[in-house]
Amino acid sequence: MSTTTRSRSATSPSTSGPVGTRRRRGGQAVFYVLLVFFALLYTYPFVIQLVTAFKTNPDATNNALSLVPDPVTTDAWVRLFDSDYPTWFLNSTIVTLCVTAGRVFFCSLAGYALARLRFTGRGALFTGLLAILAVPGIVLLIPKFLVLNYLGIYNTYPALFVPLMVDAAGIFIMKQFFETIPVSVEEAARIDGASVFRTFWSVVLPMARPALITITILSFQGSWNELGHFIIATNDPGLYTLTRGVAGFTTGGLGSGNQYPISMAAALLMTIPTALVFIVFQRYFTQGANAGAEKG
Amino acid sequence: MKRTPRLFAIAAIGSLTLTACGGSGFEDSGGGEAGDSEAPASAEGPAELTMLIASSGDAETEAVEEAAAEWAEESGNQVEVRVAADMNQELAQGFAGGNPPDIFYLDAAQLAQQASTGNLYAYEATDNDDFYPSLRETFTWDDTQWCAPKDFSTLALQINTAAWEEAGLTDEDIPTTYDELSSVAEQLTEGDQVGLVLSPGIDRAGVFVVGNGGWWLNDEGTEPTGTSEEVLAGLQYLQDNMAEGHVAYAGSVDAGWGGEAFGTGRAAMTIEGNWIRGAMSNDYPDVDYTVVEVPEGPAGPGTLLFSQCWGVAAASDAQAQAVELINHLTDPEQQMEFADAFGVMPSRQSVAGEYEEAYPEDAPFIAGGDYGHGPVNAPGMTPVVEDLNSQLEGITNADLQQVMESFDTNASSALDQ
Amino acid sequence: MSAGDPRRQQGAGWLFVTPAIVILGLFLVLPIGMALWVSLSDWAGRGSPFSGDVAFVGLDNYSALLAEPGLARQDLMLSFRNTFYYVVGVVPLQTVLALSLAVLLNNQFLKGRTFFRTAFYFPSVVSSVAISLLFLFLFAGGGAINNVLGWFGLNGPNWFQDPRGLIHLLGDGLGVWSTSSPPGWLTDPTVLGLSPWEWVAGPSVALSAIMLQVIWTTAGTFMLMFLAALQDLPTEVEEAAFVDGANKWQRFRNVTVPHLRPTILLVVTLGFIGTWQVFDQMYVMTQGGPAKTTLTPAYLSYQTAFDTGRWGQGAAIAFILFALIFALTTLQRWILRDKDEPRTSRFSRRRRRRRTTVQDETQTQAQTSGRLS
Repeated sequence: MSTTTRSRSATSPSTSGPVGTRRRRGGQAVFYVLLVFFALLYTYPFVIQLVTAFKTNPDATNNALSLVPDPVTTDAWVRLFDSDYPTWFLNSTIVTLCVTAGRVFFCSLAGYALARLRFTGRGALFTGLLAILAVPGIVLLIPKFLVLNYLGIYNTYPALFVPLMVDAAGIFIMKQFFETIPVSVEEAARIDGASVFRTFWSVVLPMARPALITITILSFQGSWNELGHFIIATNDPGLYTLTRGVAGFTTGGLGSGNQYPISMAAALLMTIPTALVFIVFQRYFTQGANAGAEKG
Repeated sequence: MKRTPRLFAIAAIGSLTLTACGGSGFEDSGGGEAGDSEAPASAEGPAELTMLIASSGDAETEAVEEAAAEWAEESGNQVEVRVAADMNQELAQGFAGGNPPDIFYLDAAQLAQQASTGNLYAYEATDNDDFYPSLRETFTWDDTQWCAPKDFSTLALQINTAAWEEAGLTDEDIPTTYDELSSVAEQLTEGDQVGLVLSPGIDRAGVFVVGNGGWWLNDEGTEPTGTSEEVLAGLQYLQDNMAEGHVAYAGSVDAGWGGEAFGTGRAAMTIEGNWIRGAMSNDYPDVDYTVVEVPEGPAGPGTLLFSQCWGVAAASDAQAQAVELINHLTDPEQQMEFADAFGVMPSRQSVAGEYEEAYPEDAPFIAGGDYGHGPVNAPGMTPVVEDLNSQLEGITNADLQQVMESFDTNASSALDQ
Repeated sequence: MSAGDPRRQQGAGWLFVTPAIVILGLFLVLPIGMALWVSLSDWAGRGSPFSGDVAFVGLDNYSALLAEPGLARQDLMLSFRNTFYYVVGVVPLQTVLALSLAVLLNNQFLKGRTFFRTAFYFPSVVSSVAISLLFLFLFAGGGAINNVLGWFGLNGPNWFQDPRGLIHLLGDGLGVWSTSSPPGWLTDPTVLGLSPWEWVAGPSVALSAIMLQVIWTTAGTFMLMFLAALQDLPTEVEEAAFVDGANKWQRFRNVTVPHLRPTILLVVTLGFIGTWQVFDQMYVMTQGGPAKTTLTPAYLSYQTAFDTGRWGQGAAIAFILFALIFALTTLQRWILRDKDEPRTSRFSRRRRRRRTTVQDETQTQAQTSGRLS
């Protein structure tokens, strides 16, 4: 989990030594050229996206690269807010909140049980969990549709978030983390006669903050960006999430013509919440991506 | 205390088995078998209808919503209009989930498939004979006309005025035969500009097949005729002209479809339907152009016709109300209102005169209604047609004989099932 | 009774895992069972798949896809071909790009590291739908990419409309063959419904554009993994190599890369699992076209069931894909394990432990990254 930056000694290779100064300068120049190139490669598309959202249709189609909308117009935004987009945004928000709350709670419960509680069948359950982890999510599209229908919840709100509320990977991450907490912590609580749930809730869980944040970020990102599940869980535009609704822009939802400004505006706006969460939790994102990699 | 967990475990497993046995989300709604004469299901009291449309834009959505609301108010029922992002998929999910929309746009190419699966309720709208015969034919499968044509569109030739004049061409030169088409296309090809640019695939290549008197299937839709002389001649014409460089697919001139190539000036001519008007005024308002009929092929005039009808679901429990609503929507007056709102061509012959008067520039499209050929209409053919489409997207390098042989093989096995 | 009481743990244990079991059971285990039945039936998507009208057809769906000549098999093979080129292109390139970015960022004199790291990582947290819309615009015929190519006098293709295969084009450019009349020895006979000419087409221009997008997007995640590993590189080792007079490249090859080996393996494995599942981009951008060159098994499965109503076949494709991914990852794990075996030095125990972690990790990451990318 740790991302400690080791402080390097003054004799670190590239600061001194037989390498000539000129060569080092040359190397530095190459280094900065490369860095700037990549930085442009990674930021420029988003700049174009922002600018295009304020262009007119013909301007966007004919001057794709220009950074100055001519004329500047907010037509795309007006149309976007007139469409079902606000509903989709709301749906995405509700679904993401439910999924995240569910995952944080259920995954830590199950992860704790698998890590610390001794009960019959624990070993079998863990094996089952590993088996489930090996199932590629994408092959479940048809199966999940069948089951949602079968249970009679197709085209309802619960169909959007209940199936996503537990995530095998989340259980796994929580289990791994709970195993690193010293048992002695719980023993103190046990001596006080606290119940299992109480011990878990008020003693162990608060110590698992880093893992909980990781799960929160992963499930926020996972459910905000999910597409496949939302395609098969509903066909009612009132229940569309952002990904599902906006994906429809390219398959005929907008009608004829290119309509780049509105699709850029839609894409931009759905990226903003991600960007906000990303900026606030930046440090933890790094950990999330490396979740568990340092353990073992 | 000791027992609770076990109870929980039992409850958990129990809920799994229970749902496994007793799930009832799939509604086995009866009725609607191919062409039966059952009385329509009628909702008791005011019905709540759902209508799924594939909209060309806000204008269409608003017009349809308005018309539906009008009827709802008069009849005391409720209608909810939904816009589909991906019509086929959303319909399929509706049918499989037992909750299809009561009324929906149904593409002619999908008719046989849906009718043969038992998803459609067959009905006739008021004054059925007033619809163009070619359209009624398009929505007929297994000797039953399944639904009322909503509107139609045909392909015509669009010519960029500036490019035309620049090449020194006049009204006299407007092509009326395939040879003339090739020759003006050649004259119009200069620099970046290609004479004739087409959207890729079967829906444009088919024009030349029809012009040569051919079609992918026989008239009954029972046997493939892909390797027939007429079909091959039509495709050969296209391939030859592409090889000579004055006809091209949109992809090779940096465009997504014919209209885009036409708008950006990479194409001097294109063959598109009446939907091109909206796209041109939207994205390329400064381009001047004229529309003429597609030139006649060796076998006479030929173009492609696309149409949708108002489908009613077999699983709907308010079929009677649905048909009433469709009667309102296909009413001549209402059809003209739709035409005004979003530029579609009415499916009733009785409105044709009024339409042509109001939109004289659309005459070439209307004319196509008389000789246009509808899409392939046989169950199970969707993947086969899609495959042919993808083959024809690469027509420049294709071995036509081989492509059509494989089409015939695939079509035969699909039609036999 | 306190929390330490084993009987209470027994009860609480089950209580704690119950929600997870119910949800995973209902939406993972049960669906797999139902889909297995559908893949063995002729259900056409109307009514319940368990009603009396639906017939058991045995392995018909599977044999249509794998054994019998016909459109179903041809499409599946096309999707395998496309995905093969996709995987072979994306996995190495995204690994190299991620490593390069990480090495750039690991330079200790770099000012504003946080900015660059954020910039490189950001695309991988953005929804694939939003990124796809952006790339549709960037790679449009008259779009930004082609404008930039124009500065260098290059005439960019119309990316998402171009079905020409890169290997075909390369051969054409080198004069090995002409794409307009492919050599006879490559057009006949067909293997599994496709001619050798079709098999060797390479990724189409359209697929390449999607590959570029995916490489651009996912490199950030992997960059973070490399960065974390690089920061763990013991300075002493680097210094020792430096004293030995090794130059930068030698130090990188002989010190850094071996140290990164577990991370590279992890990144490659994750890449494999992720790429075989590619679906979102096809759904949003190309719907399998042009000329089926962006058809992938995941999208084909979806399309077969939801668009053309052949549910049995669609479910069968999903199971075939599942089996394939499973076989490939097992195979890959086996190959990697084999290579590690000879090194039973004094580090063996530590290595083995490390390896298990990497494997467990691989699976966890596979799940999460499947959603991230």
